[in-house]
Order: sequence, then C-alpha cells, then structure tokens
Amino acid sequence: MAVKTAIKVKNLTHTVTANTGDLTILKSIDMEIKEGESVAIVGASGSGKSTLLGLLAGLDINTAGEIYLYDHAFSEMDEEARALLRGQYVGFIFQSFHLLPSLQAIENVMLPAELKGDKNARQKAEALLARVGLSERLSHYPSQLSGGEQQRVAIARAFASSPKILFADEPTGNLDEGNGKIIIDQLFELNHSQGTTLVMVTHDNELAKKCDRQLVMSAGQLVEK
Amino acid sequence: MAFALRLLLRDLRSGDILTLIIALIISVSTVTAISLFIDRLQLSFAKESASLMAADRLIRSDDPIPQSWHDKASALELEQAENTSFRTMIFAGGALQLSLLNAVTDHYPLRGQFLVDDTPFGGGEATRKPPQQGEIWLSSRLASLLDVKMGDEVEVGETSLTVSAYLVRDPGSSSSAFAVSPRAVMNMADLDATGVIIPGSRVRYSLLLAGKQEALEQYENWIKPQLNEGQSWRTPIQKGERIGDSIGKAQSFLLLAGTLAVILSGIAIALASQRFVKRHLMQVAVLKTLGATPATLIQTFLIQFFMLFVVAVAVGLAVGWLIQGLISSVLADLMSTALPEPSPRRLWLGIATGLVSMLAFCLPLMQRLINISPMTVLQPAIKLEHNTVIIYSLGFIGMFGLMCLYTQGFLLPLIMTLAIAGIAVLVSGLGFTVFRLGRSLTSGATSGWQIGLASLYRRLIPNLFQLLVFTLIIMLGLILVGIKTSLISDWQRQLPADAPNHYLFNVQADQVAAINQITDTLEVPHSEWYPMVRGRVISVNDTTIQSLYPEGRGEPELYERELNLTWSDTIGKGNKLVAGDFNADGLSVEQSAAEEARLGLGDELEINIGGNVVTLPITSIREVDWGSMQPNFYLILPKKTLEDYTANFVSSVFVSDSHAQAFYKAMARFPTVSMLNVGELLKQIQTIISQLSQAIQLVLICILAAGGLVLLASVRATLEERLEEGALLRVLGARKALVQQSLFVEFGALGLFSGLIAAAGAEACLYALQVFVFNAQASWHPLLWTLGPLIGVMIICAIGLSASRTVLKVPPMHLLREF
Repeated sequence: MAVKTAIKVKNLTHTVTANTGDLTILKSIDMEIKEGESVAIVGASGSGKSTLLGLLAGLDINTAGEIYLYDHAFSEMDEEARALLRGQYVGFIFQSFHLLPSLQAIENVMLPAELKGDKNARQKAEALLARVGLSERLSHYPSQLSGGEQQRVAIARAFASSPKILFADEPTGNLDEGNGKIIIDQLFELNHSQGTTLVMVTHDNELAKKCDRQLVMSAGQLVEK
Repeated sequence: MAFALRLLLRDLRSGDILTLIIALIISVSTVTAISLFIDRLQLSFAKESASLMAADRLIRSDDPIPQSWHDKASALELEQAENTSFRTMIFAGGALQLSLLNAVTDHYPLRGQFLVDDTPFGGGEATRKPPQQGEIWLSSRLASLLDVKMGDEVEVGETSLTVSAYLVRDPGSSSSAFAVSPRAVMNMADLDATGVIIPGSRVRYSLLLAGKQEALEQYENWIKPQLNEGQSWRTPIQKGERIGDSIGKAQSFLLLAGTLAVILSGIAIALASQRFVKRHLMQVAVLKTLGATPATLIQTFLIQFFMLFVVAVAVGLAVGWLIQGLISSVLADLMSTALPEPSPRRLWLGIATGLVSMLAFCLPLMQRLINISPMTVLQPAIKLEHNTVIIYSLGFIGMFGLMCLYTQGFLLPLIMTLAIAGIAVLVSGLGFTVFRLGRSLTSGATSGWQIGLASLYRRLIPNLFQLLVFTLIIMLGLILVGIKTSLISDWQRQLPADAPNHYLFNVQADQVAAINQITDTLEVPHSEWYPMVRGRVISVNDTTIQSLYPEGRGEPELYERELNLTWSDTIGKGNKLVAGDFNADGLSVEQSAAEEARLGLGDELEINIGGNVVTLPITSIREVDWGSMQPNFYLILPKKTLEDYTANFVSSVFVSDSHAQAFYKAMARFPTVSMLNVGELLKQIQTIISQLSQAIQLVLICILAAGGLVLLASVRATLEERLEEGALLRVLGARKALVQQSLFVEFGALGLFSGLIAAAGAEACLYALQVFVFNAQASWHPLLWTLGPLIGVMIICAIGLSASRTVLKVPPMHLLREF
C-alpha cells in the first residue's frame, strides 16, 4: 500500500511588510512530507523556520503558492475551515509550553477533546498524563509545575486529540539537558506508537539527528541535509 | 454551551473573570443604590412638599369640578378632597369684612395639617380635621376686625356659622400667602346654604388628590389633555415654589452624582475588561491552534459574557438594594420622617447599566480576542489587529447614552463629556511634555528618581492613559465636593436659623414706631419697613386687560388680582437686577411675573391705584429670591408716583419660640395689623433642606468610595508590569529601597499631575455647572487646588506602595517565574 502524503508544499512564498519595506521570508519552497515521517527543520535564528511551521499548520496565510494537508488546500480555506482542519489533524508543542495558566494540568490536556465534544475527555487525558509520568500532578496548575513538567503536560495535550501531524517548535528550547532528554524520548515514543507525522523546528543537532529527515532553512530556501 | 460554562468556571479561579465580575457588580450596584436612594428621597420630598399643598396633586379650575373627574379619581382609587376658594363679606353684629373664604370637604387636607388655636394670635396646634358643619375658623386678625371671639356667630351670605377656632395656618395656603385678605375656613357642606356663589362670581375650585404614584401619573395623563385655559394641574414642586428651587438643585446634584457613578463604573469596567483581554489573548491563540474555530469562540464568549451579565446584574441589584437600605437606615435617625419604600421599577437603570457596559466595553474587546492570529503562539511580537478608535468610541457612546438615559436630558452629559474631552487633551499634552522633560534631565539607574522618571517616559502611552484615569476620578470627586459645599452653603445662606418667620402687614404709618419699640424691647429682629399701596393693572400698551382676557380666564397673576405695590430708591435685599435701570423713572417688574405676562422693557402698564390711574413704562426687570423670606413685590414704582398715597407698611420679623407669647400679646394691641406666621412652613423648608444636605453628604461618600475602588483597580492594572521591572532590578542587585523609591517617584508624579489637572478641570466644570445647571453664582474654589494634588499624591502612592509591599518581600526568583 502506497504511503499517503501528509503535507505537500508547492512554490510557497511568504512576504511580510516591515518598516524597511516588504521582506520575503520564504522563497519558492517545494516539499513533501509522508505520513508517519519525522522531519526536523534546522537553521539560524531568524531564517524563517517558525514562519514555515506556522504556515504548514495553517496558523497563517501564505502570500503565494499552495500548501496541502492531506489533500486539503489551506489557501482556499477561511479561518473557520482551517481551525476545523487543525482540530482534526494537527497537534502542537511550543517552546514556551503555552499551557493555560488558569487551568489545571488535567484540564489543559482535556481541552482539545472537549473542543471536539468528546465525552471521554477526562479518561483520555488521565491516560496521557500517566504516559508522560504525571499521574500525581493532575490537579496542579502550570505555575506549580517545573518547566520540564509543563512541557510534558503540553505533549500530553498535543496527543490528546490523536493528531495525524504533530508540529513542534523548539520543544526543548526552554529546558535543561536532563529534562530535554526526557521530553524527546516521550515525544518520539508517542510519535512511533501512534504513527504520527512529526514536523519539528529545532536548534538542537542531536535532536535533529533523531528525525528521519533534516531540512535546512537558509536565506528563505529549504534544502535537504 | 457546556464547554463555555466549564471554561468560565475554571477561569473564575484565576481571578481575571472575578475582577471583571466585581467591576460589573460595583457599577450595577452603585448606580442601583443611587437611583433607588434618589427615588426614595424624591418620594420623601414630594410627600413633604405635598403637605405644603395639602395634597399630592391639585387641579385648579375657574369652573366647578365636573363629576367625571371625581369618577376617574375614584376608579384609580385616589383620595379626594375639594377646596372652593372665594372672596366674600363676612358679617358679625354691625361689622363686616371682605375675607378670603375656603370651603373644604371633610377629607381636607389630604396632606399636611391645619394649625388652629383657641386664643387669638396663638402659636397654634396641629389638626387634620377641618371645621365641622355649622362651624367656621377665622384668622385672629379677621376675628379682631369683626370683633368676635370663639363661640360667637358670624354671617356668611344667607347662613350663620359658629366661630370654633382661630386659624393660624391652612396647609393649602403656603404660596402667595403674603398678599391675602384675612382668611376663614368653613365646611363645604354649608356652602350651598350661604348662597354666595352665583353665576359670575370669581371662584377658584380645587380638586385635591393623593394616592399611589402610578395612579397619579395615570390620572395626569388622562386629565391634562382635557384642561382648558382656566384650569391647571399642579404638583407640589410647582406649588411650593420656595422649596421647589432647593429640591430642584438637590435633584440636579443627585443626578450629577449618579452620572458620575455611571462614568466611574464605565472606567472600572473598561479597565477590568482590558485586563481580561490582555490576559486572555494568548489563551485564545492557543485555543485556536487546538482547533477552536471563530464560531466556537464567539459562541463561547457570548455564553460566558451572558452568564457574567446575569450573575453580575443579579448580585449588583441585590447589593445596590442593600446599600440604599443601609444609607436610608443611617439617614432615618437624622430625618424627621421615614423614607418611603423604593419602587422596584427603578431597578431597570441598574440592569441598563450592566447591559450597556457589557455591550460597550466587553463585546468590542471580545472581537479583539476573536481576531487574534493563532500565529501569535509562535511569534508573540505579532501586532494585534484592532481598531482602538472604534472600541473606545463604542464605550464612549455607551456611557453617553447611559448618562442621557439617567438624567433624561443632554445638558449634564454634554458638560461632563466636554470636560472629559478637554481633560484628555490637557493630560496628553502636559503629560507628554513633562514626562519627556523628566527623561531628558535624568540618565542612568543609580537612584530611584532616575529610574522612576525614566519609566514615566518609557511607558508613555499607558502612563498617559493612567494619568487620564487618575485625573478623571480625582476630578469627579472634587466636582462633587465643590458642588456639595457651594450648594449647602447657598442654602444655609438663604435660610439662616434666624430667617424671618412672621410677616407684619396692614401696618399704618403711625403704628410703625410703636411696633419698632416692641421689637426693640423684645430684641426681635425685623427687616426694613416697605410702604405698600394696592393697585390693579388695567391695561397693557393701551389694550385693556378685559379685552385681552374677555372671559377672565388664564390671566397671568400680574393682571388677575389687586397687587401690593411699593416704592423704593434701592433694589431690595434678595433682589437682583436682570435688565434695565432700577433708578429710571418707570416700573420694575419681577422676572417670572414679566415672563408669564410676556412683558419686556418698554412695555407700558396702566395701573389703577385707589381710583387714580397712572401709566408707566417698564424700565427694569428684577430676579427675586422668594426663598429669602423678605417682603418681595412683583411691581416696584418710582417714589414720586406713590409717595402721596396713603400707604400701609410691611415688614418681616424673626420671633423665637421663647419670645412668641410676649410678642403675640404685645401685638394684640394692634388688631388691624395682619400677622402671618410662616414659622411652620419655614421649619418644614429647613427640615427638607437639612435632609437634602445629609442625603447629599451620604451620596457623596458613596461615590467617593466607588471612586476609590476604581482608583485601586486602575493602579493594580499596571502594577504587574511595574513590579516585573522591580523584580528584574532586584535580580540585578538593586536594594528594595531603590525599587520602592522608583515606584514612589513614578506614582507620586502621576498623582501630583493628575491632582493638579483634576483641580483645573473641576474648577472649569464647576463653573459650567454653577452657571448652566444650578443657576447659581460662579465662584472660585481654592480648597480644590490643595485637595487635588494632595489626594493625588497620597492616595495613589499609598495604593501603589501598599500593593507592591507584599511582592517586594518575596524572593525575586518567584516573581520572575510568575511573569
């Protein structure tokens, strides 16, 4: 059976307006990511890695070109449709965790399932938190958790909606080496067990090497390493 | 729905929603409390002033009251009484005297009481029952003129009645009490038997009504379209003109206070919702990345805001009800009468406040939340796309609408809005200049001064905004203090404790010296003696009054009856020249009488004085303070026109309770002198005014407390950012004192500026309010210029530093983790 294409990018260009005039961040990028693949995007700060990640996940609209998520063209969708697609296919992990401070760990993890109206949100969330080793911390608030623990909650939240594609933006960027290692192990373990496609932006070469492919972002162009 | 509620409940724990709810509750409860309290005061004033009119409402007619008017009043379950008033001769033995006779029904008065005595010229005791059938009450003066005493018979037309008391005061006689023939009161049941009312008699028929407000309003709506020229609908405020003015001013004050409450609550909600949005932006962006669609988010927020609205309005109304109950019970000890219960239908204002606040402040901000790009989670620096002008315009329009709704007019809201706009311009200009100057004079971070001044300029926009909020709150407080002080002192000046309480008139020239001797001996202060002759206006600019008003209906008061005329070289106490020249060779007319008769400078009046006719142009118009209790006149003539007429004299005296008996006894030597005791009336006015003053003080305290809360909220709104910087400074090794000093400089400077600008703004506002709303003389308020800056520096520093005190105690690491 042929492997499906999770993400397909054709001639992607993105321009932003800055004080000094228009600035083209991404120039005619073409790429394809297969289902189940893990891909690392590396490159210098400011090279446009996060912008590309945001566009691939449908968080922003590209200036020109086409992006397909499982054959759905983002460029033809409004925000309503893009949000639905995100809810259906996509999970996120961010460098600064972005847990909702007013919600407990368990409630943060329940959010994606609740948005879908899933009645078993709590059971799923408990199971996921147990898998990242936080069974004892369900009712803790983010401010009561360490950085590593917060990122583990974020991983649990990312997998809560059983996403087909997981986008991770510098997942270990705010963590020490020990915690970073735990996070990476858990991330890849869940990734393999659930057959998720992983797209990750990172500075960390070791982490990048763990991925199936490495793409280097440089001067708005993307090249295979 | 369930998701929105779950999220709302979880959010409650974080405190942001709680702040918003509390702001909403404060605004709903303040407006509710004040509007309910004002309602109760108004009802109470109406009741008090109703006792001066003997009824809640009165219809006056030149014709007998039609049966249908009674029927309608009965259908609405209103209490009714009638008073038929006319001038007639009363006979006793050989004497006869033209008198003003009131024939009243058994239920008269519906409000207030008669004062009667069984000895002539006595102080009087209160009674609510009118004379019984076959009886008549005569004023002491009338009794002496007729030479009758209690138990004697007098003849009125074809019937004779027994004198059963001396009439001291009739509750329906407070206005125009001064220009009356001697009075008598009889029972309506005897009226037909007298046969004195025949076709063509000049009779004033009054239907008195009392009852529930709603029923009275229904009756008013029903009757007003039916009234013709000779008929009028009167309310207590119209009738008791003297206190009407004071009550009117107090109502304006209370409305103003309520308007300020609306503005304060607007500021509170704007601050709280801004904080709410600021704290929720990232959360919404995260929810969007998790797949929340704009439709889901809109639905979620609408449900949440609706729940907030329901909870805040319900709690706000309840708290407002409790607060006004509390204020009223505090006042109850000070007031002579219990306040009437508030009417629940006034609650709509609180609900409207909640709704408008939500629509004007929360919904536009919700749009900001919905529009945030999910990309913010990756690039937090992305600018928010929102139209600030629209957001603030909506808030502004909402508040303006609420103020108009509240005051049911445009003038007050307009003055307040212009003042706020002016202040905004002033604050931006001055603040920018001073903050920049402060920054350019300092560099480095070695002292709290340098850091504080640098911070002021660095956070220019938020600081200017905060300066504006501080300024507005302090200004609103100062305006209220200023208005309260000048209103109350205005009243106290008008009605000092020794204000004249008796009028003496019909005094002959040769009696003046003897009466002066009595007043001097008893140390009873009296006003000047004014000579007085009686005359009637017979034509205006060569057109006779008869041809102007052929049926004698709807005549202005100036033409309706014989007037008391005086002459004087100087404009009297309590009189103010409005137009023309008082010393010119012509007539001086009282302003409202001139307006009613549509007269102006240059119009010529022909006046019949004891058979002689004089023609004079109007050369001046005076405004008369009828509350001054001085003898006042509609028309003042030049001395040379009147000096040859035989005049009698009028004056007013203050007779204290301890001197009353002695004075009355001494005055009994002059039976022809009329003495009108307005002491009771005066006491009622003084009671009302002291109630108004106390009410105003309490409302002031309430508003200032609300203002203090808003100030606190406003300081706290920006405290986090300031403390984050403080934490950083401490991480870098700064001592706690340095951080405290820099906060002190920043808050102190903000407080000082806002206090100064607020004083200027309050002074300007007070000028406009005094001139346009209260119709009073504008004056400077030096107190404000001290109070403003002092309050600004002290309160803002105190709030700022006490709020930061706890945070300065904990290790910096904790702080940095929090931010």
